[in-house]
Amino acid sequence: MNHMFRKRCFPRAVYVHMLLNDATQTELILSGCAPGNERRYKGTPTHGIGRWKYLLPKQAPKKKKDRNQTKQILSATDTAHGTLNVKVSGYDMTVVEHYSQYIHNLCNRLGIDVAESYALPTKSTEVMLVQDQGNKTYVDAVLKTHQRVVQLSSLNASLCPVFVDVLLKNQPEGVQLSVKEHTEADFQARFKARPELEGLLAQISQ
Amino acid sequence: MAAPCRKMASRSFSQLLYCFNRTAVGSVGCRRFSVTPVGRARPQAGPAVERATSPWTLMAAVCLQRLPVISADESPIEQRFKQMMQQMELEKSVLSDHELRLLEDADRMSRKQAGDYDSDEEEGHGDQEIMLGQDLEDTWEQRLKNFQPAPRVRADVDKDLTSVQRCLADSLVLLAEQQVGAEKLWLLPQAAWQEGETLRQTAERALGSVTAADLKATFLGNAPCGVYKYKLPKAARTESSVGTKVFFFKAVLADSAPAKAPNTALLWVKKSEVQKYLKPAYAMKVDRFILSL
Repeated sequence: MNHMFRKRCFPRAVYVHMLLNDATQTELILSGCAPGNERRYKGTPTHGIGRWKYLLPKQAPKKKKDRNQTKQILSATDTAHGTLNVKVSGYDMTVVEHYSQYIHNLCNRLGIDVAESYALPTKSTEVMLVQDQGNKTYVDAVLKTHQRVVQLSSLNASLCPVFVDVLLKNQPEGVQLSVKEHTEADFQARFKARPELEGLLAQISQ
Repeated sequence: MAAPCRKMASRSFSQLLYCFNRTAVGSVGCRRFSVTPVGRARPQAGPAVERATSPWTLMAAVCLQRLPVISADESPIEQRFKQMMQQMELEKSVLSDHELRLLEDADRMSRKQAGDYDSDEEEGHGDQEIMLGQDLEDTWEQRLKNFQPAPRVRADVDKDLTSVQRCLADSLVLLAEQQVGAEKLWLLPQAAWQEGETLRQTAERALGSVTAADLKATFLGNAPCGVYKYKLPKAARTESSVGTKVFFFKAVLADSAPAKAPNTALLWVKKSEVQKYLKPAYAMKVDRFILSL
């Protein structure tokens, strides 16, 4: 269907344009010859024949990449949720990572826009047990909680129950799933604290 | 730590937060479905606007699901593949801290029994000499023996259709026996829509009226997942009531609360058993949105 369309509207406009172009070019060349002071090589018929960059639309000069807040936090509309964070956490890293990859692939297939997909720092929990003989506690195990976040830029309200149902039905054991809205606080929590900067700011404000 | 299998099992699905509390999204968001009755009343419309009443009675039903608690059993191919993958990973892996410790202990033992053993040459491994790696393994074995996991499959509970604990490896749907017209039918719990509430609120009310009040359910969205249209037989049709439309909303059981005596008969059934209880036309529509994964 598309190419039929193109065939139709192509010919006339382009043909007329080409005719006009020829006319203007020949005129220019004729006028260029008349004074005689011009340098001949610039007046050759093929001068500027390969130029094409002037035809491109004007692009703004490329700024240095803005590290912070590259994505806007969308708010909810009547028919779609805003920016959502799908957080997957658990003790077993391979399972958690595979599940988050599954969610990402599912979103790609369903046409849901994935804004970002990142990992939060791992939290270690030490399990300490009291010894059988005595009151001293000893370290029994170290459990590491891994967290992965898939950030969706918008989720259609009619697709939401289907999507969440599929996620729940495919949730593996030992993995916790949570779907929450993305807030500025969530974004800031990812950055490391900078004690010197905060100290200097406090000094300035005092 | 040493918790029975049932409690440790898998999932805790924490709360879903929704950002919009505005009304009437349930009726707007169903673009997928075929018929939107003319002049369906929207609560947002001002009271001065005259609403054309539609000949269809609107009802909302809830498809409450209890998600599987334990993983399903593996088929023979899956078992063989799993064993092969585990074997491959074992062969490709490096030694863990505990295994290195066992090797060091064995090495130290052999050096101690060598004859020309000089204990001053040993580096300080105070703790490791008192509690050998082997001893640790023995204590762990002992604790494992004392741990009694709950049975995965209990045949008597599986047969009891009213119990929420049946068939832990499958997802179950709640059915209720409700009075529809002149007869009692098995269907998903439903309630009639009233003015000034969203369809989702109707579904929540349906759930609350049919089951005990403390059954905590999380609704998955404001948009319905299915619709069933029922035209009254020609004899019963009038100008103002042609039939009913039932909109289904999905919900997930959050807490398996202790079973109180419900006021209506309730059943928890798997997708394969649903056909036996529902009418054919109804079952055909309901089947489409119950996922059996």
